[in-house]
Amino acid sequence: MAIKILSVDDSRTIRLIVGKAFKPYECTMLEAGNGEEGLVVAAREKPDLIILDVTMPVMDGVTMLTKLKEDAELKTIPVIMLTAESGRENVLQIARLGVRDYLVKPFKEDQLLEKAGRCVTLVKRAAAPAAPVAPAT
Amino acid sequence: MTPPPDINQYKELARRYGLGSTPESVSRLTQLVARQDSDVDEIVRVIEKDPGLSARLLRVANPHAENEADYSVDSVEAALMRNGIGCALLLAMGTPLSLALIKTFQTMLSLKLEAVDRNQFDVLTGLHMRGSIGFVGKVVGHVYLRMSIPAAKTVAAGILGIAPDEVGGNDELSDVIGELSNIMTGNFKSNLCDAGLDCKLQPPKVGLSEDYSTPVEPGGGIERLAFRAGDLLIFVEVTANPWNE
Repeated sequence: MAIKILSVDDSRTIRLIVGKAFKPYECTMLEAGNGEEGLVVAAREKPDLIILDVTMPVMDGVTMLTKLKEDAELKTIPVIMLTAESGRENVLQIARLGVRDYLVKPFKEDQLLEKAGRCVTLVKRAAAPAAPVAPAT
Repeated sequence: MTPPPDINQYKELARRYGLGSTPESVSRLTQLVARQDSDVDEIVRVIEKDPGLSARLLRVANPHAENEADYSVDSVEAALMRNGIGCALLLAMGTPLSLALIKTFQTMLSLKLEAVDRNQFDVLTGLHMRGSIGFVGKVVGHVYLRMSIPAAKTVAAGILGIAPDEVGGNDELSDVIGELSNIMTGNFKSNLCDAGLDCKLQPPKVGLSEDYSTPVEPGGGIERLAFRAGDLLIFVEVTANPWNE
């Protein structure tokens, strides 16, 4: 069964880049534009991994992470923070909350995949069978 | 009360997560600027040790000069005396911002962006894409990111991995430029906060604009930067005023 990965970021650009990175792998991508939406999707879908931004409108990533860790059903889901902010207090606070890993923007797809691969098993999609070639007439 | 940040714990986390660090001279300068009672001589020494910082400070202190021969302020000390510590703060902010922008282009577009002398290039005219992010706290200011519409399309296409003519409308363009502004600004915000200049970022404002004005906060300063990768030109302005309390 394909794993589920939830990307929570207010930037559609980042959600697209994250989705593109995981496209070659057997996984279902889920998206949310802020922490509040992210919690709803997480509760409904129980993703295997959450990629979480910090600064977002409505509910930021730190608040969402705090609420995830308070929820018995969701607290074991590994979370990778994906943010442009790597300030000391930010990193320490997020680490104390129990984040699995931290990736600073800008990032390469390889870096994201490497960190994700430490949290979940990524299986390459089987190559699509080649379309039958019509015999030459 | 929040316990004081544990430097050693942070270093261990930074190593484990693979976090980059700000150049030592910039970190030191930011810490000195953050202290309102800091010794100007010490700030001068830190800047003078770094040729890049010295050159940028003199450029900021001589905003109307077209080249170094036109400088009326020609020493780091004179620049700080004339323009105040706010000038040094701009340097402290501009370095992580520039590094983040260059790294973003290298990482996400495989483009080698280089900082260039802004005076050597025609400034944008007419309608262009403008992203701006404000920051408020112990330091207040704005970062402006400007580029032509074709340049914005090239950047958006590169980041999204599509052809420039596949880039959607202004919404898609705005989202990419907004995220680029976020990445640049987030990196220098971390440096400011680590030095004690706590501040929060405001959501980016992005759109087409014909407005080239760059309002400067009362008592603050402005640094104008330019970057180039081939025909692609990116203009950045940073305005800041420390000690907003």
